[in-house]
Amino acid sequence: MKGYLGEFEELVLLTIANLGQEAYGLAILRDINERAKRNLSIGAMHSTLTRLEEKGFITSYQGEPTKERGGRRKRYFELTSNAITSLNEMKSLRDQLWANTKVELSIK
Amino acid sequence: MPSPPRFAQQLFKWWCKKADADDLLGDMEEYFRYNVSKKGKLRAQMIYIKQVLSLSFSYALKKRKRSASYSNFYSQNSIAMLNNYFKIALRNFSKHKLFTSLNILGLALGMSICLLALSITVSIYRSDEFHEKKDRIYQVNTYIADDSEDKTYASTFNAVGDYMEGKYPFIERSVKIKSGFRPEFIHHGNPMRFHGYFANESFFDVFSFPIISGNPSTALQEPYSMVLTESVAKKLFKNEDPIGKVLETEYGSFNVTGVMEDLKQTHFYFEILTSYSTYEQLEPNSTLNSDWENYRNNYVYLLLNPNTAKRTLTESLTQVSEQAIEFNPNRTIELQSIILEDVVPRWNVSNALGIGWDQPSLMFFMFIGLLILLPAVFNYINLSIARALKRAREIGVRKVVGAEKNQIKMQFIVETILLTFLSLVGSIFIFIEIRNEFLEMVGSASVLDTSLNFTLVSVFILFTLLVGVLAGIFPALYFSRLNPIHTLKGEITNRSGSISGMKKGLFVFQFFLSLFFIIGVSAIAKQYRYVFNNNHGFESDNVLAIPLRDIDKQVAINELKNHPDVKAVTTSSNLPGIFLSGTEEMTPNDLDTINVSQVFIGENFIENMKVKLAWGESESLSKSTQNEELVLVNEQFMRSVAVFNLQKDSLTFTLADGTKCRIVGIMEDFNFEPLSELIDPLVFRHSLEESNYALLTINSPDIKKTIDDLDDIWSSVDQKVNFEATFLNDEIETAYFFLTAQIKIFGFLSTFAISIACLGLLGMVSYTTENRTKEIAIRKIMGASSNGLYFLLTKDFIKLIVISAIIAIPFSYVFYDMVFLHFLIRYGSGLGIIEVLLSIIFLFLIGFVTIYWQTSQVANANPAGNLRYE
Repeated sequence: MKGYLGEFEELVLLTIANLGQEAYGLAILRDINERAKRNLSIGAMHSTLTRLEEKGFITSYQGEPTKERGGRRKRYFELTSNAITSLNEMKSLRDQLWANTKVELSIK
Repeated sequence: MPSPPRFAQQLFKWWCKKADADDLLGDMEEYFRYNVSKKGKLRAQMIYIKQVLSLSFSYALKKRKRSASYSNFYSQNSIAMLNNYFKIALRNFSKHKLFTSLNILGLALGMSICLLALSITVSIYRSDEFHEKKDRIYQVNTYIADDSEDKTYASTFNAVGDYMEGKYPFIERSVKIKSGFRPEFIHHGNPMRFHGYFANESFFDVFSFPIISGNPSTALQEPYSMVLTESVAKKLFKNEDPIGKVLETEYGSFNVTGVMEDLKQTHFYFEILTSYSTYEQLEPNSTLNSDWENYRNNYVYLLLNPNTAKRTLTESLTQVSEQAIEFNPNRTIELQSIILEDVVPRWNVSNALGIGWDQPSLMFFMFIGLLILLPAVFNYINLSIARALKRAREIGVRKVVGAEKNQIKMQFIVETILLTFLSLVGSIFIFIEIRNEFLEMVGSASVLDTSLNFTLVSVFILFTLLVGVLAGIFPALYFSRLNPIHTLKGEITNRSGSISGMKKGLFVFQFFLSLFFIIGVSAIAKQYRYVFNNNHGFESDNVLAIPLRDIDKQVAINELKNHPDVKAVTTSSNLPGIFLSGTEEMTPNDLDTINVSQVFIGENFIENMKVKLAWGESESLSKSTQNEELVLVNEQFMRSVAVFNLQKDSLTFTLADGTKCRIVGIMEDFNFEPLSELIDPLVFRHSLEESNYALLTINSPDIKKTIDDLDDIWSSVDQKVNFEATFLNDEIETAYFFLTAQIKIFGFLSTFAISIACLGLLGMVSYTTENRTKEIAIRKIMGASSNGLYFLLTKDFIKLIVISAIIAIPFSYVFYDMVFLHFLIRYGSGLGIIEVLLSIIFLFLIGFVTIYWQTSQVANANPAGNLRYE
């Protein structure tokens, strides 16, 4: 595995996983902005997507042009197996850490 | 549904260059539409712009652009590609020789007028660049506003020059110039008039006019000293050294103190210079250095010390303006300064020194040039698009092989530019041919240097590029849009050979313009004929005019009268039919004054010249007494006087010099001056002494012999005075030189316009006939007659020419009859039906010949051969 997965990158990858077949630029942006209450700029998000693609976590393919986009194509993103492995490693690391915590973390 | 801000979208596309950003644009647009429904259009647009900015500087786009630049599909128009364009263009030119030569000829004709306008403009803008101290020389201008006027004058008050040089130490020198020095030299018996200025001695120190001989700093010091330009010196002295020679004029005798080179590239226009002190001696009563009232024809140039700020000058001019206002309490006066190089061309300045080039006339000239050029450009566009069928396959192949839209556009623009440069060569030849002719017409333009220099050639090249892009852009857009599949299958529309609406419009415009100019030529030609056939109201046929000069007038007249061929003799101070100079003031009632022209006539003038009297008689004219002069006036005089409520029978008035006059006769109004002038109040006084010309009515079988006889008689009276006889009609003709110039200009323009229109017509006709070759062959086989085919091929074009005539006739009529001819010649004959008809017939003939030339080739061809065509 190359590269280290950052917090935001993880968020984007998980959002793509959540959106499934409908994971294209604007959908990801909206989803993150709504779910994580962030005010993410489109430039920052596409830059992250580009870096993830460079690192081999996602691949992309072009969809059919649609009318509401002025006849322009969507670019859909998919997770690679690398990403799934990385996400799993992240999750198990977190689970371990959560399980072994010495401080009460749960909010009542 | 609103769309995203176009500007931001275009900017983003441009910024992306070749990178694939379709999905990004899509994202933004989708979000925009969503935002429009949620937050309104304005907010949505703001967000869109913000997103464009955010993406433009993002890593995502940077990366995409970088990878796009490695793409195999992407390449700039490399040198090899340009080479290919050139090669294809040249091949195309040689393949379609007719179209190419039509286009080159048309563009060359059109461009040549523009080159002329450009060269004059460039030359005027570069006036006075050669002066060494040009950065420090300013002309003082005067802005004057009062009840009657509101103008900026290039001239200023007489006192300004001395006043400022004395008061402000930052002024190094001042040059004072007075215009209006026009002495007549009697040299070797020939009178010659030259145009000049009075200028003070600093003239040659401030301005860098090259002096050939004489001392520049003292040449204009003494009264009655004179500096000649080289060509004047040559005229007067041939190869002798003019320095120290004495010249006799009506102003007195002048010493030649210097010879300078002829003027080139300057706003001044003079042939001779005399010292300012001469003026002071000629007008001993005028106190020039305290005159704050007269501001016409008096010019001041200031040379400032080095490194003086313009502000210093402006401030001091404000002070001087206040000084001037003290003398002119009811006026707003503002003195202004303008640096030497900006003196010409100006926008709106009165009483300019020299030729006084102004920007509006330059713009008008440029406009005329474009009016001729545009039809040529239209022709090119028309013909190129019409030839689409021939070029379409090439474009199709290019596109299939991978040419992009921009490359196709580039190809056509390169091709057009190449063609315009070929035309430039042609138009430079035409330009050189017509240049001198044209400059002469403009008048005193000899000062302009329009020889080809670096600046001018660069301007020409830039202009040609511009024309190339202008002419090439429409064909380029058209060809780049062609669908390769259609072109390869040969399914280009426009096969029917019909002409589209826009082309029809252009056609009509071209012929309209041609007809307009032709009517102009014939209209002015008609005025020309009218001037000589219609008498001005007096008899000018067979009248010989002889300048009397210093001869004993009474003796000369008596002697001349004895010749058998001379029917009658009279004299006058001015030749009838020629412009009068200046007017006199007169008072009809001791209170009011009006301006009248006065002419002195000898005995029998009225009878000999067949001037009609409306009232009274002319015999008693010579019976004037010391107290009262008996005069004749014209009807216009009576009308002008009538407004003063005189006593009904008052026939007396007083002239400004105190002469009391009584009217004994009233002449019907006639044109003493050329027909372009208003008929002014005119007073005829009797005086042989004041007469300058003898007017002989001649009836002679051998005019040359008669004139020789008269010369002998003249010499027997006084050998020293030169004998010179001209026919009055010839003199009048030269007074109408402006008409000749106008005819030439319109002739030029109409020739050019017609040629270009016919070239366009030729191109279109040959294109349509070429495209209909097969159709015509089939028609012929089916039994169509030659005449029928002519009609078929011609009727569309005839229709267009007829339409253009229908538009042009009323327009020309209004323009020439009501506006133009009025300015040109006030008492002319207007525009006649015959002139219009002749113009139309002329244009139709040319049009028909053009069409016939092309159609006959097709109509007479063997149909069997033509069926295999295409």
